[in-house]
Amino acid sequence: MSTAAAAGRRGAGGYALHVVLLAAFGGLVLAVTRLAPETHGSLWTIAAIGFLLLAGTLMSELVAPLGLPHLTGYLLAGIISGPYVLRLVDEHTVKTLSPVNTLALSLIALAGGAELDLETVRKGAKSLAWATVVQCLFVLVVVTGLFFAGARTVLPFARSLRPAALLGFALLWGALSVTRSPSATLGILSQTRASGPLATFTLAFVMTSDIVVVVLVSLVMSIARPLVDPTATFALDSLRTLGHNLFGSVALGTTLGLFIAAYLLLVERQMLVVLLVLGFGVSTVVEYLKFDSLLTFMVAGFIVRNLSSQGHKFLRYIEQTGTVVYVVFFATAGADLNVPLLHTLGPAALVLALARTVVTWAGGRLASRLAGDPPALRTWGWSGLVSQAGLALGLSVIIAREFPGFGTQFRALAIAAVAINEMVGPILFKLALDRTGETSPIQAPSFPSMIPPPPS
Amino acid sequence: MNAVLLLMGLLVLSYLGNLLVARRTSSGAGLPSGVEYAALGFVLGPHVLALFGADSLRAFEPIVQVAFGWLAFARGLDFGFAGDRRVRGGSLALGTLGAVMTAAAVASGTWFVIGWVHAPVTGVDRLLLAGGLGAACSETTRYAVRWVVDRHGARGPLADRMNEIAHADAAFPLIALAVLFALEPTRSIAMPMPLRDGPAATVLLGLVIGTGAALLLRGEMELEDTWAALFGVLLIAVGMATRLGLSTLTVCFFVGLAVSAVSQHRNVLREMVAPTERPVLLPALLLAGARIDFRAIPALAWIAVAAIVARMVAKVVFGWTLAIASSSARKAGPLLGLSLMSSGALSISIGLALALRFPGKIGDTVLAVAAVSATVGEFVGPVRLRRALSGAGEIKDAHAPSEAVA
Repeated sequence: MSTAAAAGRRGAGGYALHVVLLAAFGGLVLAVTRLAPETHGSLWTIAAIGFLLLAGTLMSELVAPLGLPHLTGYLLAGIISGPYVLRLVDEHTVKTLSPVNTLALSLIALAGGAELDLETVRKGAKSLAWATVVQCLFVLVVVTGLFFAGARTVLPFARSLRPAALLGFALLWGALSVTRSPSATLGILSQTRASGPLATFTLAFVMTSDIVVVVLVSLVMSIARPLVDPTATFALDSLRTLGHNLFGSVALGTTLGLFIAAYLLLVERQMLVVLLVLGFGVSTVVEYLKFDSLLTFMVAGFIVRNLSSQGHKFLRYIEQTGTVVYVVFFATAGADLNVPLLHTLGPAALVLALARTVVTWAGGRLASRLAGDPPALRTWGWSGLVSQAGLALGLSVIIAREFPGFGTQFRALAIAAVAINEMVGPILFKLALDRTGETSPIQAPSFPSMIPPPPS
Repeated sequence: MNAVLLLMGLLVLSYLGNLLVARRTSSGAGLPSGVEYAALGFVLGPHVLALFGADSLRAFEPIVQVAFGWLAFARGLDFGFAGDRRVRGGSLALGTLGAVMTAAAVASGTWFVIGWVHAPVTGVDRLLLAGGLGAACSETTRYAVRWVVDRHGARGPLADRMNEIAHADAAFPLIALAVLFALEPTRSIAMPMPLRDGPAATVLLGLVIGTGAALLLRGEMELEDTWAALFGVLLIAVGMATRLGLSTLTVCFFVGLAVSAVSQHRNVLREMVAPTERPVLLPALLLAGARIDFRAIPALAWIAVAAIVARMVAKVVFGWTLAIASSSARKAGPLLGLSLMSSGALSISIGLALALRFPGKIGDTVLAVAAVSATVGEFVGPVRLRRALSGAGEIKDAHAPSEAVA
């Protein structure tokens, strides 16, 4: 919903009431945690989910008049109620919410794939191809170079690294910088219901770059290993496994997509239950097979959209189911943000995040010039590529595990930088969508004026 | 069976259950309150086929709590309404009176039998067991009455009255549950709460949260945000009640009641929430059924017989009370009260709440007896109700749909 629409729906009194109610519910939860200090294991997680859901929803309404995306509200709600500020939600609770994340990521990937119309992607293929090449290689090379040149100045622990090891570190940082956030992109597009060249380009880029990034990171890790550890040798074995996994993911996703399309065509009942089965059940199968879940679900969504006439219907169902899940997902991500670490590594992380944003901007301008993009894309095409989230953090965990020598520092720095990008990226993207006029003026169905259709 | 497989099974069950329910409205298959799902859970559970073990059940405990909390919320939201119509004050009073009479009879009967068979339950435990059985066996499920009325096309003052009574008897057993929880406060709470304050705190917490939710939904919100706010509030209520050792069901019921009382959008909310009841109910009943353990106490059979007989007697006496007030009830015959024998979701959820809070001989006995009582009630209630409505001349062709309810 646009800012104007949001403001139009609720007066100042309405916002004030929401603030009071948010504070009241927060106070109530806080009082209970003080009154009964002993938790009942997973049962308190229920209250935590509830509070994140409520606080995220209310906070998103409160930040909307400022022109900020709902996603920022969800993240803020998570940060404030999380383990580093009010402690309404503790670390254990945040960890136990991983099934919600699994469900959210599967829905996000399904929606992302289902949003990609083959014809539209084909029309923008030139832009997409140039952007993929430039945003991956240019960003990788320039960020690696900048990191290598400046790391010893801003990072004390980098001073003790040998030049080769520092180059390995810089390469890994460069690879990490190439990752984007499909969830943040989808979150913003879902809220704004935006349509136009910028929305289509960003979505297509972010979803397809997932494959490129996974390959690139695997390759960079193979190159960085002998640089960091002189006893290690250059090996590409991991790429073979990766190839199997990628092809397997595409095959499984295609099968899944055909099944979903057939189900929608022939049955179309109880879609909430079907999506839950997909989110939890299929995710478990994908994890067992060690396939890429994001790619699997994205391909499934893409097949439904482009090989059947059920795409729009499917998207509507995902949207109905997903909203509640997304709030918890992003609020949990906010609660998981390590605020003290951000405080400690803040200046260095800020410099690195800023450098990445500038390089992404420059890369966007270069790619647009090469592809001959329209003005809107030339000016704002980079804006949706700043967000980083789960993919970057996941890769930082792998890198930390694979490179124990500096893994801890690398991960801490990655968490701090990703936190900044996670907060700033969505704001930039929404601003760009608003400025280019792609944000939909049509408001979402509202309560109490609309009743949902009866269950099929 | 691991947790993911169990979850998949529950989702499939929810799916199939909905298809069956959709067909049931036209064909009349199955038991009206769906208590067969509890039986299915019992058969699949750790005490019979052991397709899923106690560990899996423990893993799903929070989900069960939320599911039954949601159902209690829906019940609170719908309390005092029968379909679109508000229940008359007289029916509200009669419904509550029936619940009090039945609870008292069941509690007294089982209290006596516990002593008579020398069951190993004394002191507060005996009170908890008898009181728990009274609370669990006092309701009449809404679905059974509505099922008979809809299926046989019953129209008339008695059908209306019975339907309204079945929609108005939930408050007492849930308040009784809050009192039972207060009898043995949780040890985790930092500030000890006197017995008299426990139930009041339970009701107050529900009312405060419900009022907050109603205020929250006062203005216009996006539809998805409304769901998020409703669901968020409910989860907070469930989590807080559990942490404070209060009755989750009671808190959620009063959340629903407060929303219904305060919100100007109560009708819209009811229409939003009502379709969610069945998909939540069936898997929840299955999980509750899986916890049933008929070896909870050696004298369980005696206690079950006592509870069911006491319930029958109380219902018959209540039927006579009804006959004093209504001429159509007099036409239905002396066993009219047995028409209200059906119990179901609320009864089993009270049993489960006690089984989770007082695991072992008290809670497990209440859950087992509640399930048996619900099963017996399903066989007796709808048949007697059909006869009563025929007797009162409110079913035009009593012989047309003649197949047995079960």
